[in-house]
Parts: sequence; structure tokens; C-alpha cells
Amino acid sequence: MAKLLDVQSLTKKFGGLFAVYDLSFHVDEGESLGLIGPNGSGKTTTFNLIMKELKQDEGEIYFKGKEISKYPTHERVKMGISRTNQIPRPFSEMSVSKNIRVGIMPDELMRIISMNSQSDAERKIGKSVGFKEHALAMYPRELSMGDLRRLELARALATNPKLLLLDEVFAGLTVGEIAELTELLKEKKEEGLTFIIVSHDLRSLATLVDRVVVVSFGRLIAEGSFKEVIADEKVQEAYLGKQHSQI
Amino acid sequence: MKKSLLLWAIFGALMCLLPLFTSTGTLRVFIFANFLAIFAMSWDILSGYTGYISFGHPFLIGIAGYTTAMLTRHTGTPLFLSIPLAVFFTMIGGTLFFFPALRTRGTYFALVTLAFMEVTYHLMQVVEPSLTGGTRGLSGLPLLFTGAIPNYYLSFFVMFVIALGLWALTRSGLGTVLSAIRLDEESVKSAGLNTSKLKLFAFMLSALVAGIGGALYTHYLGSISPRNMFDINFLFTILIAALIGGEQSIVGPILGAYFLTFLLEYLRPYIPGAWRFLLYGVIALLVYYYAPKGLYSIFQAGTNRLGKKIKRNEQYGQTT
Repeated sequence: MAKLLDVQSLTKKFGGLFAVYDLSFHVDEGESLGLIGPNGSGKTTTFNLIMKELKQDEGEIYFKGKEISKYPTHERVKMGISRTNQIPRPFSEMSVSKNIRVGIMPDELMRIISMNSQSDAERKIGKSVGFKEHALAMYPRELSMGDLRRLELARALATNPKLLLLDEVFAGLTVGEIAELTELLKEKKEEGLTFIIVSHDLRSLATLVDRVVVVSFGRLIAEGSFKEVIADEKVQEAYLGKQHSQI
Repeated sequence: MKKSLLLWAIFGALMCLLPLFTSTGTLRVFIFANFLAIFAMSWDILSGYTGYISFGHPFLIGIAGYTTAMLTRHTGTPLFLSIPLAVFFTMIGGTLFFFPALRTRGTYFALVTLAFMEVTYHLMQVVEPSLTGGTRGLSGLPLLFTGAIPNYYLSFFVMFVIALGLWALTRSGLGTVLSAIRLDEESVKSAGLNTSKLKLFAFMLSALVAGIGGALYTHYLGSISPRNMFDINFLFTILIAALIGGEQSIVGPILGAYFLTFLLEYLRPYIPGAWRFLLYGVIALLVYYYAPKGLYSIFQAGTNRLGKKIKRNEQYGQTT
């Protein structure tokens, strides 16, 4: 399978601290990759680098075989990379459907101006992530955490991505919501979406991902199938500390 | 949409009939209100929508005014040429405004634009006074029309066309995406949109409107001076008109401009000099306190209620 995203020796320093250090990994087309690690291990920073919300100090990022370091965020989105935010950040004064509409918008002035005020596309995307008809007219302040995460996902899907970066999509959700969202992601995967998912909810990840990459202090410490990685001593040490991992 | 267009038509028709009922004195107040409405809308399309607060709109208006004033005075350029040229130069000025917006936001951006205005104010007085007229400015400029009635119609039609144009644009996807930039610019980038391009368009549009207003206003007054143009009071009048009326609506700034102009005018006999400004400060505060979204929100609530009432009457009519 062709590599969709290939990250090579990615490094990002904040002051004297390496948030990401010499990190290399890749994701194949159609694959789902779990990116896990303890708090502060550089997972979100990695996403920020891939989206160029931050600029890497060193390393290369290849998307579909092309080095994309020089492209700004919006160009990368147009190439087919999209993300959700760990802390949902919807446009607070806009309804759910209007939030999705911004995601659908083409990057051409004339087409933005001639856009219909009511498009079926935003309704379709909204419904595909599980919004009911009446919820489309609701405002972000009226939504539950589950629905806010749904909206994040809808906005990311609205840009029609090939590769989706999912940052802590399960955090703050009920068990039922997590199950729903997992099903939804599996469906999207069937439809050919490639994604990288960051989550602390390892149980949900187990059935969702093909492969896992573990980072700690910005460095890659393990890589492999979910079972292999969980059994890895270094991973247990990173998550639980040395003493507990030996028990 | 239909209801709004109907309201626009009614507004247009009423304003066209206005000279039949009012004195030329009142018309002159309306002329000023129309120009203020143009300036306030120009501010709204940029600052109200994108959240890039401009404290330098008099700078843009001043470029237009001075360009056409100097062209007509020194080279004898006819108005039909000098005014478009003035608008063109204002749009170049608008792009000058745009560069700080690539790097700064919020208060910092506002201060940079304020600096544009202040610097121009001082430069106008010392650099080439033979061209700009220095501190005294230029007067005795050619007028487009004489008399209150033609000038009223001119100012109203220009204001009306600009208002309809901006209103339609802001109700399209453009209004949505410009508001989105104000709410979270990073998220707009994450939606795959080039925000620099969109911002540049908003700046140019704002400058276009400011330029048209500024050039025509100069040829209505027949004079221009740095003291009257690059003045903090002029700036605040524009800001307050847009804010009192309700930003991000285009209609709001028009309401605000009319309200403010007539308020100041009718207070004139009762309150002497600068004391009027104190009172308008108080009224502005009261409006904010009771209707933080401006007069437009009151107006909207009113028309909604009226619309519901009509609907109810229709339904009632059908059942009986």
C-alpha cells in the first residue's frame, strides 16, 4: 500500500524543551493509525505540525509523496488533510449548519458569494455524523460535549479530507456516545477514509485502529499492532511508571 | 428575503418622497446623515464583520477627499475623472491598511490604523503645503450640484445603492465567512480557506465605499482641511453610528447614522456647543445598556412582530 502521510525526523522545540524529537512514522492509504502516549508527550503538537499550525524546527512531512513543509494550513486542507481539535472550537455565534457551511466553502471568492444560503450538502454532512434535523439549527452553547465533538468531526469532514487527524475525540463522552462515534468512524473507514487518532481511551482504540504508534517525551518508543504495543515493557513504563509496570 | 426586499423598497420610496414634505434645512441634515451612513457601512463591512477594528477610517476617506480636491484644484481635472481616480487611490490606501492586518490583530491593529490617521494629519500640514493647502486645506472646490434637493438625491441614491450591494453581499456566503474570521481565524484556515485573500477583499470593499463617500462628500462641502478630516471626533462619529445602530448588519449603521445626526441636530438649540457631545455619550451608553446589539436589534424585533401579526391575521381570515 502507498504511504499517504510520511513523517520524517520531525522535531519541534519550545524553548529548551523538545516537544517532538526526531519523530518518524507513516500511515498508509486506507489505514487507521492510533497515536498514543502519556499526557504531554507531543501528540497534539505533532498534529499541529502536520497542519502547520506550528512550524517544525527540523524534519520533513510528505503527503502523497510530496514534501509539504512550505505549504500553509489552508493549502494542506485543500490537499486533503483535516483535523478535529482536542478542545472543540466551533464558531460560537453560528448555528450547527452554518458552522458546517464554512467547512464546505470553496476557496474562491466568487463561489463563496454565489453560495446558496441553504445547501443540502451541510445537512447531509450534519446528518452523517448523527445530528437530528432540529439540532442543525442549534447554537454551539446549546450542545452537549458529545454533540460538540460531533460538530468538530462534521466540520473536518466538510473539507472532504483524504486523511483525518482526530484529537481526543472520545474525551468527555458517555459510553453510549463513544460507541456511536466508534461505529461512525468505522463506517468512514469502510468508505476509504484514512485517519490518525489520538486517544486515551485505549479500549475504544483497540477495535478501531490497524496499527499503533506510541510516543513519550516527543520520541517514538514503540510501534506495532495494538496487542504488541500494549504488551511492550517500555509502553507500560511510560504510562504507569517503572514500579507499576513490573507488578 | 422577500420581506427584507419589500422593506428596502418602502424605505427607498419614502426617502425619495421626502423633499416634498421637508424644508431644505432638514434635507441638509439628511445629506450629512447619508454620508455618515456610507462611512459607517464602510467601517462595518471591515471592522464589524471581520473584527479587525479600524480606528483609521478618516485616513481612507481623507485619501479620497484630498486626491480629488488636489486634482480638480491644481490640474483642472473634471469631476467625472477625478472622483474615480480618488476611489482608486483609496483602494490602494486600503491595501496599505491590509499589511498590518497580516501580522497584528485586535487592539494592536486598531492602534496601527489610528497611527495611519494621525501621521497623515501631521504630514498634510507640513509636506508640500502648496499642493495640499497645508493647515487651511483647500476650499472653493467645484461642486457636483448646488442646492439641497439635488444633493439630497445624489447622497441618498449613492447611499442606497451601496447599502443594497453590501446587504446582498453580507447575506451571501461572504458574510458568513467574514464573521467566521472574526470568531476564529485559525478555524477558517483549517476549513481550507485563504483568510488573507478574504481579508484583503474586505479591506478593498471597505476602501471602495469609503472612497466613493469621501470624494462625493468633499465635492458636496466644496472644501477639505486636515483639521476636519483626520480628526478623532470624526472617527468617533463613524464608530458610534455603526455601534449604536448595530454592527454586522449593514442596516444598523444606516439607522445609527440617521439617529445620531438628528439627535445632534435637534439638541443644537437646547444645549450649547460641545455639551451636546456629552449627552450623546450618555445616549450611546443607554442604547448599549438596553440593546447591546444596537438599534437594529430593536428594529428587527419590531418587524418580526409585525410579520407574525400579519401572518396571524391571514390565518384567521382563512379559517372564518
